[in-house]
Amino acid sequence: MAFDKMELRDIEVWDGNFAAAQALRQCQIDVVAAYPITPSTPIVEGYAKFLADGYVEGEFVMVESEHAAMSGCIGAAAAGGRVATATSSQGYALMVETLYQASGMRLPIILNVVNRALAAPLNVNGDHSDMYLGRDSGWIQLDAYCPQDAYDLNFIAFKVAEDHEVRLPCMVHQDGFMTSHTAQGVKTLTDDEGYGFVGDFKPMNDMLDFEHPVTHGVQTEEDWHFEHKARQHNDLMTKVMPKIQAAFDDFEKLSGRKYNIVEKYDMDDADVAVVCMGTSVETAREVATEMRAKGIKAGVVGIRVIRPFPFMQIQEALKGAKAIATLDRSAPGGTVGMLFNEMAGCLYNLETRPMLSGKIYGLGGRDLTKKHLVDLFTELQANVDAGKITTPLQQFIGVRGPKLSFL
Amino acid sequence: MSEMKKIKNLKEFSTSADRFEGANLLCPGCAHSIIVREVLNATNDDLVLSASTGCLEVCTAVYPYTSWDASWIHIGFENGSTAVAGAEAMHKALKNKGRLKQPDRNPKFVSFAGDGASYDIGFQWISGCMERGHNIMHVVLDNEVYANTGGQRSSSTPIGSSSTTAPAGRVSYGEKKNKKDMVSIMASHNIPYAAQVAPNKWKDMVKKIQHGFSVDGPVFINAVSPCTTEWKFDPKDTMMITDLATDSLVFPLYEIIDGHELNITYRPKNVVPVEEYLAAQGRFKHLFKDQYKYLIKEWQERVDANWSYLNRREEARV
Amino acid sequence: MANKGWDEFEIGAMLRSFDGVSNDIATTQQEDRNYSQSNSFVASVADWRIEKPIFAKDFCIDCQFCWIYCPDMSIIARDKKMIGVDMDHCKGCGICVEVCPTNPKSLLMFPEQADEEAELAKWPAKVKETK
Repeated sequence: MAFDKMELRDIEVWDGNFAAAQALRQCQIDVVAAYPITPSTPIVEGYAKFLADGYVEGEFVMVESEHAAMSGCIGAAAAGGRVATATSSQGYALMVETLYQASGMRLPIILNVVNRALAAPLNVNGDHSDMYLGRDSGWIQLDAYCPQDAYDLNFIAFKVAEDHEVRLPCMVHQDGFMTSHTAQGVKTLTDDEGYGFVGDFKPMNDMLDFEHPVTHGVQTEEDWHFEHKARQHNDLMTKVMPKIQAAFDDFEKLSGRKYNIVEKYDMDDADVAVVCMGTSVETAREVATEMRAKGIKAGVVGIRVIRPFPFMQIQEALKGAKAIATLDRSAPGGTVGMLFNEMAGCLYNLETRPMLSGKIYGLGGRDLTKKHLVDLFTELQANVDAGKITTPLQQFIGVRGPKLSFL
Repeated sequence: MSEMKKIKNLKEFSTSADRFEGANLLCPGCAHSIIVREVLNATNDDLVLSASTGCLEVCTAVYPYTSWDASWIHIGFENGSTAVAGAEAMHKALKNKGRLKQPDRNPKFVSFAGDGASYDIGFQWISGCMERGHNIMHVVLDNEVYANTGGQRSSSTPIGSSSTTAPAGRVSYGEKKNKKDMVSIMASHNIPYAAQVAPNKWKDMVKKIQHGFSVDGPVFINAVSPCTTEWKFDPKDTMMITDLATDSLVFPLYEIIDGHELNITYRPKNVVPVEEYLAAQGRFKHLFKDQYKYLIKEWQERVDANWSYLNRREEARV
Repeated sequence: MANKGWDEFEIGAMLRSFDGVSNDIATTQQEDRNYSQSNSFVASVADWRIEKPIFAKDFCIDCQFCWIYCPDMSIIARDKKMIGVDMDHCKGCGICVEVCPTNPKSLLMFPEQADEEAELAKWPAKVKETK
């Protein structure tokens, strides 16, 4: 069996889904086990068409649920080869059991997550509820802000996850519809460049090595479980970040595109800063520049690596800021947003101890407008001027009805 | 295709080198182990195995020990079939790409699961695997109860048996529903081979397993696995109970080829009354009270009707 | 295996059945295998037994019923002969005795503390079939 290479233009007009599908094609996946769900379906459809047209070789297993998709990926990865899939929202929720099993077995599966809200009420649009659901699952989580990122971060994901010192599964997140269905210019790698960057898959503890039979997925009780979980956490905390940084560096050499574990924008002298993820980062950057013209020293911190969480890099990025707001695109379910919580953890021990407030926004695909961000930066500057937080700690942005705030 | 292992008789079979090891934690007298041995020893080819969560899984891979001498994986309760299907897909992919480390091997992909993991929680996963045509064999260790968690009813639990979630009591005779006909359901996926087996009839079992290994496509095997703990009989009596199961025709042995061609593979010389099968197990003890004796009669009628149905299907070749 | 610390074992709680390269396991008997310390073969469940089987070789016809129906891989058969019971892995279920077809039986259950030689010396005689 053989496959044809695809001639790409230097810049293609792709949406995030097609960009991810193209990256998967160029990485030459051995097994894709997948199930369709809006808005990630076009990734799987794109891959299926590549297969039908002879642009990839490998097995494409169209299973009967997302749980089975990840189960098949786990079996395939344990057998020893390159494995990837894609999902969103409810499908991601159905997969959650197996996410923990994939990471616990240290299988380098790549999961493209096109972020979408979680029911009820049912909603097909982008928010970060699904992304947050997996944050304790022991996976590496990378966040794309646009189709270009969705393309590039897939190469990074394979390179890091499959490294024998890492051997952890990795998610590449992009925002449902805002990224996944919005076509933009995407600078491409040639097929040889893309595959050359990730390299040949190097098996480890593979079930198909019949000279070395292995047992995967054992039971450990109180006498062993803690040590295994501790090992996994240690590897996430100490081994992954240097590998991601090295992959970013290599990728910059290859493509000229520079990624950072924490994406700082105008943070060097910022008094006020917004911390956010996904497509909101680009909106926030645009508004921050406009605020500078109005005399407010605004900056933006985008989280590129969600897990392992870049605790130290965040501290460094925010140490000079005076008032910070976190933007969480997920219903917090009875507490503060995830980013508020993480920032509080990062900043509490800083001597500068900046003021921290949190916003909940954009649930179910509700737009975050520039006006929202102008108001937000203005409010943060008011906090700086007053020397204290002048608003409740948690406010909802863009929701109809009486102003909603807590704490 | 590798050469089929020659197993003319039991003496020849006994020269097999087991790839399943002792000092596992299964109960003394557990039939699961006997079934697993007969399946694994039916071939000398390499194996890729899975077990769904259940007795077999929790008793054979408790860190730091494994009882498996072939590659083995457990993910969860519902997805052992899909785990092996994923491995099979990877084997196919690497074979096509010329990346197998030992390309001359001809591995068999087998998934073991209990009736709970097959008839209930894993039903959809198995159906998917059967429908997609993976080259795998799914073997149900059918002990008609969630034995690993202490004896709760499953959709394989038969009428009148007492389980912890359908117990017999002052006003109840226990399970009210008859077990699901899983072999027929799986055969209806038009898979090349489905069969019911029992470990006492080892030759029938080995023949079926070898046939299953020889076909191209998914294979479903339902193996009766008498459970000393939950069926409530003395561990030494496992094979006696299995004999009663096959010879009373409560567990008839048959195969369905290509979804339609049914062959009965064992016809007991002396058919044992179902009452003897029920009487040998504590889970049916209450049926022998006066008010429930009608259920024993109904049991016999049901078994007779099923046997007649199987015979008619065999004759009609549909 | 000693209780190791979190940094001392293989990632993913993966276990290996054998040390080094293992080939043709399906045709390699236990004594010729290079079992790893993680293989349950190296462990023992002898302390589970209340009763143990004793094997009287003189009466055995090597039918291998005990071999095929032993749930614990504890009937040692080599070259089509039954040569003994693996007392590290036998859990004392008694199936081997039940399925033994000889008269008298070639395997019988005895209390774990029973002396093998003494029991063999007073092995029961053939029982006459009564019809």
